[in-house]
Amino acid sequence: MHPMLASLRGLISYSALASLVGALLACLLWLTGAGSLPAATLFALPFSLCFGLVVLSAYHVCRSLPFAGHAAFNAVAVRGGACLVAAVLGLLLGLGWNEASQAMMHSGPALELAPSWRVALALASGTAYLLSILAHEMHAAALAAREATDRAQQARLLARDTELQLLRTQIDPHFLFNSLNAISALTRLDLPAAQAMIVDLAEFFRHTSLVATQAAIPLADELALCTHYLRIEQHRFGPKLQVDMQIADAARPAMVPPLCLQPLLENALKHGIRQLDDGGTLQLEALLRDGWLHLAVRNPVDATATSALPGNGQGLRNLRERLASLYGNRARLAWQQHDGHFTVELALPFEEATRS
Amino acid sequence: MSTTLTALIADDEPLARALLRDYLRSHPDIAIVGEADNGLQAVKEIGRLNPDLVFLDIQMPKLSGLEVLEATQRRSGVIFTTAFDAHALKAFDLHAVDYLLKPFSPTRFDEALRKARALCGEAQPSVDALLADNSQRLSRVLIREREQVHVLPVDTIDYVEAQDDYIRIHAGQRAHLKTQRLSDLEARLDPASFVRVHRSYLINLACLVGLERNGSDGYVACLRNGQRIPVSRSGYERLRQVM
Repeated sequence: MHPMLASLRGLISYSALASLVGALLACLLWLTGAGSLPAATLFALPFSLCFGLVVLSAYHVCRSLPFAGHAAFNAVAVRGGACLVAAVLGLLLGLGWNEASQAMMHSGPALELAPSWRVALALASGTAYLLSILAHEMHAAALAAREATDRAQQARLLARDTELQLLRTQIDPHFLFNSLNAISALTRLDLPAAQAMIVDLAEFFRHTSLVATQAAIPLADELALCTHYLRIEQHRFGPKLQVDMQIADAARPAMVPPLCLQPLLENALKHGIRQLDDGGTLQLEALLRDGWLHLAVRNPVDATATSALPGNGQGLRNLRERLASLYGNRARLAWQQHDGHFTVELALPFEEATRS
Repeated sequence: MSTTLTALIADDEPLARALLRDYLRSHPDIAIVGEADNGLQAVKEIGRLNPDLVFLDIQMPKLSGLEVLEATQRRSGVIFTTAFDAHALKAFDLHAVDYLLKPFSPTRFDEALRKARALCGEAQPSVDALLADNSQRLSRVLIREREQVHVLPVDTIDYVEAQDDYIRIHAGQRAHLKTQRLSDLEARLDPASFVRVHRSYLINLACLVGLERNGSDGYVACLRNGQRIPVSRSGYERLRQVM
């Protein structure tokens, strides 16, 4: 069944189109003196409606014989043959119907189908069929192209999901071993501080592996994770790292993607504060406005640094894509370097946890 | 037999430095004369204090541990420390250069110190070999100008000219002198970006805007900044292969 004829709307469109072609054919027949207008209409309309079905049948020919490399010649030959058959069919159908209608309408004059008209009818039938084949092929190609892009998109999302899983469960060796070294130092210099740092390290890794399987977590949890992380870094870097967190109470229950903030803090330290002789202040801000959650991470940067983007910006781009796949165009991620500071801003629709 | 040895600690984490200080307490014949928390400061302090021993963290801000050695020309009395760097450590293992993996025990530390003491004063050819290791592509070139160390990102270099024992590196408006052979620098740069077009010239392909014939068998490379660099026949072949 041709997809066009499968729905009521399709049927109506088909009838309208076929009728239009029939009307045009009728006019042509009448103007060229093949017969009176009523006779021409009586011939052309039913003919057009019937032959239209033949034209639509090109769909089945195209579908059954796709162009596939070595079979291409076959495909072309069959389509060419089908056009010829359609041409002959059109001619026979036209002549046959003309005779039949003549027999039915005893009173009405028949159409004079001169040889030139017969040729024209055959040619038109064949051409109509050819155009139908082309139209069906183009449609099939467009569908295939869309499918291909969809598949590519799916593959990308899947890859990113895997990367995300890895990100969540991977332990950065630099971070781990430097932290353990710091703890080792503290065991000889300041035992209570060593114990505090051990707990912070354990809690940080516990949190990151817990959120690994969740699609969204409350901002409060992400902030807890970040706080453990920053306390560890403050042990390592001492007074060079100052932290300033401004979190609106109303923002704490907002659902966010796990590890949307912590990697931003890592960037801020690795590419910003760590490069400065005197260190600096890392600012973290969260607030609600008009149903949107606004998050911002700000850090000073070395003004003479050649690149504005931390580590060529891949992490930021990945985060942006992650947000796009989760929120479509309702999420916004922007970053800029201005006046010796680097700022990353995130805006998400405010959503609270749904009660289970 | 034991004269006091002077030592410098270079590490950007205060606790890492504190740990080394603490470990050194059981070695009264070693006096800590200075500390540095980044690569540039390490270069300065090494130049100023000329310590017998340097505890050098491989990953530091500004300059890495290896870049510090390159900039100071120091080859002896170095104990490397690192938390993790699988990539670089392969080269260390290859050239049998000792390093301490953080966190390390007092025993491990003592052993490294013993080895360093034994070699003290003698240049370590293994360190030379490590620094000359061509497997690591340069992303920046270090230039020592009196007390200053310039860090030149490789993509800002327009072309390099060889002059006797040294090379002149042209980057933008400025030219820098460096004691190095042109072929040594050539070996450390990405051959897809930098081509030796002449015995005395190396150009950055990104700066090349045109190539003209010059006489019967020579060519001239026209650079973005208007400079015209002679191209030898073999240089022309090399250019053709890359482009």
